[in-house]
Amino acid sequence: MIESVVIFSGLTLVLGLILGYAAIRFKVKGNPLVDQIDAILPQTQCGQCDFAGCRPYAEALAKGEAQINQCPPGGQEGADALAELLNVETLALNEEHGESKPRHVVYVDEKLCIGCTLCIQACPVDAFVGASKVMTTVIEDECTGCDLCIPVCPVDCIYVREINPTLLTYVPTIPGEAFV
Amino acid sequence: MSSQTYPGGVVIANPYPVDQVKIIQAPLPNKVVLPLQQRIGEEAKSCIKVGDRVLTGQVIAQTEDQFCVPIHASISGIVTAIDKQAIPHKSGLKSTCISIESDGQDEWIKTQGCGSDFLHCDRQTIIDYIQHSGIVGLGGAGFPSHAKLNKAIDCHTLIINGTECEPGVMCDDALMQYHPREVIRGVEILLHITGAQQAIIAIEKDKQEAYQSLLMFNHNDRISLTQLPTKYTSGAEKLLIKTLLDVEIPSGGFAADKGILCQNVSSVKAIFDAVIDQRPLVSRIVTITGDALTPINVEVRLGTSFEQVINLTDVNNQAHDYRMGGMMMGVDIETTQMPICKITNCIFVNNKTLKQPAKECIRCNTCNTVCPIGLLPQQLYWHAKSENIEKCTDYHLSDCIECACCSYVCPSNIDLVSYFSFAKALDKKQTADQERIDIARDRFEFREYRLDRNKEERSKMMAEKKQALKEKMAKDKEQGLEQTDKIAQAMARVKKTKEDNA
Repeated sequence: MIESVVIFSGLTLVLGLILGYAAIRFKVKGNPLVDQIDAILPQTQCGQCDFAGCRPYAEALAKGEAQINQCPPGGQEGADALAELLNVETLALNEEHGESKPRHVVYVDEKLCIGCTLCIQACPVDAFVGASKVMTTVIEDECTGCDLCIPVCPVDCIYVREINPTLLTYVPTIPGEAFV
Repeated sequence: MSSQTYPGGVVIANPYPVDQVKIIQAPLPNKVVLPLQQRIGEEAKSCIKVGDRVLTGQVIAQTEDQFCVPIHASISGIVTAIDKQAIPHKSGLKSTCISIESDGQDEWIKTQGCGSDFLHCDRQTIIDYIQHSGIVGLGGAGFPSHAKLNKAIDCHTLIINGTECEPGVMCDDALMQYHPREVIRGVEILLHITGAQQAIIAIEKDKQEAYQSLLMFNHNDRISLTQLPTKYTSGAEKLLIKTLLDVEIPSGGFAADKGILCQNVSSVKAIFDAVIDQRPLVSRIVTITGDALTPINVEVRLGTSFEQVINLTDVNNQAHDYRMGGMMMGVDIETTQMPICKITNCIFVNNKTLKQPAKECIRCNTCNTVCPIGLLPQQLYWHAKSENIEKCTDYHLSDCIECACCSYVCPSNIDLVSYFSFAKALDKKQTADQERIDIARDRFEFREYRLDRNKEERSKMMAEKKQALKEKMAKDKEQGLEQTDKIAQAMARVKKTKEDNA
């Protein structure tokens, strides 16, 4: 009888120590849900959701302080994906936050640019190259199409260019689902 | 040594057989259209202007990409336009093309090559000639030949693919029958470049004439001819290697990793033309077949319109369905106002028929038994249909060669292969999107970090300045007495001078 008590007390002690150590050693830093939400968001960093970027929005969503339908660049698909992740009913996109536009980038009409650097400061992903009083241009590969630079330009020399499918990026449609 | 077969595949006889395979020389087209986008890499940039006169074989567009080949004018004449035109591609998208109006003279540009003593040229020189002559895989894939040759470093075996397994296509058969000398010499050039010990020319058993004519011209002991059973997909590179050498190329691997190089027979002939005859690739042999005409093979300049080539046949006046490429792997097209490209091996012209509508999958398992790669098309079908790319990847979607054996045998007429090409394209798109998103996230986070760091640095700098100022003031205060003294002395001096003056 005394043996079993000793054995089990010993076991409890050892396992407890291991568990206690593991809880400290493998502590999850930060909220993993934020990362999961952030992975779904389109990373446009446009701020149309009324937060300063995709990550702040993800944090607000994780805390339950925002709705899942505030991200126009993510489109309805994005809202649906968020609903699935958060296990809530999906919502139609909130039009107050803007409309979902096809993927695009911006470019600068370099003849008009006066080098005011306002766009450089507005760009959330540092996609502009330029300096004070010199011509500025966009690295189109880095542009997320957030359009934040367009309203700040004092000479309106930033334009939108839509990205059309090319032969290399073409995705064929699957055959019609109308089975007879 | 050779297992001579592989599981799966389908046996289909040529649906439109001819008594004798012939090659007809097409008359010079009065206009050619040459697309600038190649199968891989960036769109080439034109190096001529509208209104320029170009000569046959002249380079009219180039890329800086080492992987790509330049584009040559296929006739001599005047450049009439550089604009977007319909090209033979399944997307139906338009792409930038150069149009040349013929002057009827077919004047060739003087080009350099090795000539018949290619043995004196080193490996890299010949590979460069091949690249500059615009040679790509003419079997249908359009993979640049020089890129393959550059990769083949420790090559021991050369496989020349003359199987032409797509039912109905006869252009390689015709080429082997009428140009055996060029093919054999071309193989010798490749042996010289790669330093391989042996070359195997693989031909299907139903092409006896081609086999015989190559056998007659082959006097090289390093080159051997092998006949393979007639079965569709035997011409796929990895399967051909498995059949001939019993070597399996792993998923994601290349033939070059195992010291094997595969080339299509028509590419070999093109290499002969480039290296010995010093002629860039400006024409190819195209099979025109189908139930609306008597099948023929035509040697035609690149960029000639499909319509013009079809008009060389005895095509009937009914409404037609058109298909380019093979019966199995080809693509249905709406119009014949498209240019022949390097990879256009065949055009089907069939009398219009109603397409059988697809029915529900009955899970009969037939597709699984014919897949030559050993994939499970049925599983892939369900996952591709639900756009579940992760599952598709688990079922090795990327190994699918899109041979369409599964679609061919499906009793429900489901076009399985189109689901797979859809899923592959979707996978590619999603991967590219994810990459872009990750870059944007990194850049955003770095910017946040940078702004914070700037703020911190600034406040630190301000604090230091403030501190320095404070210290200075404190120091001044200490010396304050002395300072006031000095001022008083100076004032006294001034007063004294003033008094003296007065």
